[in-house]
Amino acid sequence: MLPTSLAIAIVTVAMTLVPAVLLFWAWRRGLFRDLEAQSRVIFEPRDWRVERPWESPEDRLARKLAFGPPEAAAPGEWGGADRGGAA
Amino acid sequence: MSAPGQPRFGSVDAARGRLTVREVDAVASARGLAPEDLDVRLRADASSRRAVLALFTVAIGWLIVGTIFGDIASIKLHSPDFLTQQAWLTFGRVRTAHLHAVNYGWGTAALIGMSLWLMPRLVHTELKGVRMAIGGAVLFTIGIAVGIVAVLAGVNDGMEWLEAPRWLAGPFLVVGGGLIGLSLFWTVASRKAEHLYVSVWYILGAFIWFPMLYVVGKWPTYSGVESAAANWFFAHNVLGFWLTAMSVGGAYYFIPKVLGRPVYSYQLSVVGFWSLAMFYSLNGMHHLVGGPLPTWMITTSIVASVFMFIPVVATAINLHMTVVGRFGALRYSPTLRFVVIGALAYTAVSLQGSFTALREVNRVTHFTHWTVAHSHVGGYLFVSFIALGAMYYIVPRLVGHEWPSEKLIRWHFNLVLAGIAIYVVALSWAGVAQGLALLDPAIPFQESVRRTLPGLWGRSLGGLILTAGHIVFAYHFWMMLRMPERATRTRPPFHEARPVLYTAEAEAARR
Repeated sequence: MLPTSLAIAIVTVAMTLVPAVLLFWAWRRGLFRDLEAQSRVIFEPRDWRVERPWESPEDRLARKLAFGPPEAAAPGEWGGADRGGAA
Repeated sequence: MSAPGQPRFGSVDAARGRLTVREVDAVASARGLAPEDLDVRLRADASSRRAVLALFTVAIGWLIVGTIFGDIASIKLHSPDFLTQQAWLTFGRVRTAHLHAVNYGWGTAALIGMSLWLMPRLVHTELKGVRMAIGGAVLFTIGIAVGIVAVLAGVNDGMEWLEAPRWLAGPFLVVGGGLIGLSLFWTVASRKAEHLYVSVWYILGAFIWFPMLYVVGKWPTYSGVESAAANWFFAHNVLGFWLTAMSVGGAYYFIPKVLGRPVYSYQLSVVGFWSLAMFYSLNGMHHLVGGPLPTWMITTSIVASVFMFIPVVATAINLHMTVVGRFGALRYSPTLRFVVIGALAYTAVSLQGSFTALREVNRVTHFTHWTVAHSHVGGYLFVSFIALGAMYYIVPRLVGHEWPSEKLIRWHFNLVLAGIAIYVVALSWAGVAQGLALLDPAIPFQESVRRTLPGLWGRSLGGLILTAGHIVFAYHFWMMLRMPERATRTRPPFHEARPVLYTAEAEAARR
């Protein structure tokens, strides 16, 4: 039993410690600086402006005030064959 | 940057037609983008196109094959005389072929395809080593095929989840997966984005963890009960560190992207990733509660399983709070419908797993159909739903036109949701009934089997409905690939690689 226990124990410890070291390294490298900006890295300017049919008038107004005039969604904008209406 | 008047995109042109600087500038300015931003996105999407389409096509093929094997295996459990004349159609081989086809052929290939498409977008550059990635995908597919044929022929390594022979299929899987991984790491190393989004962490983590797990699991020196320990170290971790990591990475992209709002708490997403990274590897031994292993191994694993509440609840709160108040979006977006249900299933299956690891619960559920139902909540309702949602979003952006039929998408969604619901409810119930009967010394073993029969019929019914849903999806995908010649009626979103050619702005600029 010892050989297996040892192998699994060593790999498990490695798999726990390596992420801990990586976490420290990433923190030192500043990879967690400005998390707000990180959360927005997937968006393009257009993503903020596109009109979303499920949003309330208040949401739309908030978008308009924050990002400018709304843009109409393109067909299939949301993934799938919807043509702007509910599927 | 190319000279004015010259095509800006180099090799990208061949895949997507010629687009001059003037046209790009016209589209970019009309959409409030800097031309450089559009350039980056165009290159990112076009670069991964061939590799991703190839992987998605292969994945859907294995989905159909794997589901049919699953149906055959399921029917044999309540009708044992079904297809008994051929050795390769016996339960032990067909069930294993099903597992390999759906977990590696379908789930892994689909999620790798999703990762190859996502990564260039996330790090704002092209996919590097495209030929390497395509070559890797080809080798990986050959490895899956060789493994499944070997299993059907009765040649296997005798370890659950690792049956594909190490010396036949292994080299293809290792080299193929390695080439794809190299392409992804090269892409990240060449990144132009200042920030690494959380999905990048999940995907890169998956490609670091999987080779470690595979080497440990396939190490050829184990025997007896040692094999069981190594087996469940691999089999459980491959869920958490491979399929889960890529799926959660996908959910963190598609949900905010479709909703047009950032995740509820980015800090929580970071906590979720790092706690998964540090604590998940201890989990596997809870599959061996009651087995002949050192008590410390089992107990450590149970404690770690309860620890999983931290990453799971962090991810659950984050994704749920991102969607909350906007569940109406699920009516409009098939992508969101699949991905949000997948994310809910992640929470459900993880919490269920933590409870099932407890000795008192495990006493009833161990060695019963409950475990199979549980693994299908994870492997199908969570992982596959996110992969399917990703495909609905990605494929139109790859082929340059919209999915041809809303009706087929609805049929697909309704069939697979109904199928998996019937499957899981029937089999979970059967598992509990079986476990309680097995614990009662007054009940003969045969009676414990008889009590599961309604649940097993329900499982087959659910499986057949799932297969019907997959055939609908495969047909729709095939229509999608065949459609370009007559696809001018619909215009896909402007901001993708090919569709930009069809925008009014580009057409006006061209005239």
